[in-house]
Amino acid sequence: MNEIAMDRTSPPFSVTLARVPGVAWILGLLLIGFTFFSRDFLTGANLHNIGLQSVILLILALPQTMIIMTEGCDIAVGAVLTLASVMLAWVLVHDGSLPLALAAALAVGLVFGLGNGMLVALLKMPPFVVTLGTMGVAQGLALIVTDGQSIVVNSDALQAVYGGNLGGVPIPLLIGVAMYALSHGLLYHTRFGTYVFALGGNAEALKLAGVRANAYLIAVYVLGGLMAGLAALILTARMSSGHPTSAIGMEFDAIAAVVVGGTSFEHGKGWLLGTLLGVVAVGVLRNGLNLLTIPSSAQVACIGLLVIVALFIDGLKGRK
Amino acid sequence: MNQATVPLLELRGISKTFPGVKALDDVSFVVYPGEVHMLIGENGAGKSSLMKVLCGAYTADAGQFFSKGEPVAIHSPADARKFGIAVIFQEFSLVPYLNIAQNIFLGREFKGRIPGLIDHPRMHREARKILDLLGLDLSTRTLVHELGVAQQQMVEIAKALSQHARILVMDEPTAALSDRETERLFAMIRQLQAEGVAIIYISHRMAEVFAMGDRITVLRDGKKVGTRLPGEATPDELVRMMVGRSVDMSYARSFGRSEGEIILEVQDLHSDHGVNGVSLNVRRGEIVGLSGLVGAGRTEVARAIFGADKVTGGEIRLFGQVHYGTPDRAVRAGIALIPESRKAEGLALIRTVCDNLVLPGLAKAFPNRLYQAAKARRIARDLIDRLRISTPSPFRPVQVLSGGNQQKVVIGKWLSSESKFFIVDEPTRGIDVGAKAEIFALIDQLVQQGAGVLMISSELSEIVHVCDRAYVMRGGRIAGHLAREELSEENILKMGMQHE
Repeated sequence: MNEIAMDRTSPPFSVTLARVPGVAWILGLLLIGFTFFSRDFLTGANLHNIGLQSVILLILALPQTMIIMTEGCDIAVGAVLTLASVMLAWVLVHDGSLPLALAAALAVGLVFGLGNGMLVALLKMPPFVVTLGTMGVAQGLALIVTDGQSIVVNSDALQAVYGGNLGGVPIPLLIGVAMYALSHGLLYHTRFGTYVFALGGNAEALKLAGVRANAYLIAVYVLGGLMAGLAALILTARMSSGHPTSAIGMEFDAIAAVVVGGTSFEHGKGWLLGTLLGVVAVGVLRNGLNLLTIPSSAQVACIGLLVIVALFIDGLKGRK
Repeated sequence: MNQATVPLLELRGISKTFPGVKALDDVSFVVYPGEVHMLIGENGAGKSSLMKVLCGAYTADAGQFFSKGEPVAIHSPADARKFGIAVIFQEFSLVPYLNIAQNIFLGREFKGRIPGLIDHPRMHREARKILDLLGLDLSTRTLVHELGVAQQQMVEIAKALSQHARILVMDEPTAALSDRETERLFAMIRQLQAEGVAIIYISHRMAEVFAMGDRITVLRDGKKVGTRLPGEATPDELVRMMVGRSVDMSYARSFGRSEGEIILEVQDLHSDHGVNGVSLNVRRGEIVGLSGLVGAGRTEVARAIFGADKVTGGEIRLFGQVHYGTPDRAVRAGIALIPESRKAEGLALIRTVCDNLVLPGLAKAFPNRLYQAAKARRIARDLIDRLRISTPSPFRPVQVLSGGNQQKVVIGKWLSSESKFFIVDEPTRGIDVGAKAEIFALIDQLVQQGAGVLMISSELSEIVHVCDRAYVMRGGRIAGHLAREELSEENILKMGMQHE
């Protein structure tokens, strides 16, 4: 009798637990684990470091979330970021003006985003194949432009972007916060965002509602390209150079963060806050493994495991 | 309703042809403000096509729309909406991870004070008003994927209502609703009627047709048979108008009451896909029809027996043995399912005719698990001859064959597995008339070899012409059983439409 009464007053503990998203579990476990294994992990300087290192990943993962929600993907994003970074460095070296250099990086993103979007939306080509192709194109161009060498940049303006503060907050972090706020606004408070949900959830319904669905699908890929262009600013500033292989493989981290965050490749199911947590989880994992002096090749394997564990936890919760 | 009022919309001489089918043939149709216009007809009579022409999803090959004497152009969903036509489709047009308010106003979001942003509070307020009208006690913030089928149907209705349409088209809106929800919907319809909205209502339920209809139009074979007032017509008369489809298939079987053993015995079957207590049996040497209107649960019964859907109750006995489980067990037990969509489920399109024909019989043909090309070729050649499949060679991909020949491959491949029980789902869909007779001859051949066949068909005339007896389904249940001498389209429709 007592047990029944208790059940009525509060939901069982297991139900409460099941409401916590998988990504929060993972992040919590990672934080506890690294704090336990490394004395240097839970320090102000290191957390600051994680934040700075995660900004680029965040800027890539935000639009990737929306692209995946439309049942697509953009695996070209690492190569596009690389090419944009190289172009940005090249313009800085030849002209010296930072605004012009940023414009060049954004233009690279725009062209590739538009190309990806149009091939996917208008020619109905599979996003994976389209972006596999443009990945090769962007990577090749980056190598051609640089002749395989780094373009070293000595620019105070560029230095200021990475090292500067505004009211005590590092500028890259401010850019990250601004991009998160912008993405949140777009996804949850504009028609564009509503149609991102609809593109993956029921594109037919969107067309029957008289919406030009293809235009919005292209726009999602364009947003991804532009964000990669912006990320190039931070990446180039961090390295004071444009290197033709600097962001190779970043698409893996970005897609992993999105998937760990609980966004699905089906039905237009997505969650922007989840992506933020996923980015932090990937950032914490990379940072913690660095502190434990685990080589970066093994880190990739760990991120792979992270994705599988996250999907497994969400799968367990999906089952009754 | 006042017949003297000016029509809201007039369709004159609408025709629409698809390859091989005349979906609509010179249909004229008048809609008056404030009327509920019932549209009835058996499966494939042209109701859905007419609806799609109305909402701009199809463009008619011939014919015109008129409003107040003026021609109106409706060539796209946007045109239809501008004219004030809203449609509630049977297959849902909802987005699962948007909330109810976002779904209701999809494509028509309210603009906020800040340019570019959506006015969410206003959208929720407006959505609330519509849900209250429908008596729907749900938060407008609920995501649609969390709703049940009936609730989704109500959201679909709310979406159509929110468009302030002058003409509201509903395709079997009550199919998924409970009695209480149906009452609410009917009250809502009466209210809209009073406001002058015209409602075109497609129904399979006789009781609804008479309870709600101001006028009743019957379609058959893409043609309008006639329009009746409910006071002047009887259900029997309407059923007679619906049946009598032209049958131009030339095949004949010798029917008879089979005295063979019972091959399949199903008792009180339930499944997680809406089979709700079905009992039936099939004997050796007979073709048993499983009939009913679209959505009655026929295919679901087949899938449950085959193990493709989960059986949640009841018993299946095959050759006297209790049978349960997965499709591969079903195949080993000797069930062959010849599915409805042969391209998606029945064939490996890019593989050769030979590969497809040999596939189900691999285990029997090659007991030591080694594939012998010469033996496979022999089996395939033998089947191609027996089935009279016209293919230039056994090694052409199946996708180059005609629909009729593809279907022969689908049925024929099971001959090589020597199955003794067949479930045939819509065997003649998309097949031209000549090939239909051959398909039925083939099914008859199976039966003469001592197999039992359960045949599902939407074509009532096929059931009547081919089957030894038939079960009629309605709402996931068996509504009745018809012996050979009782088998007529009229009787099937009477059972399938909930009347008497």
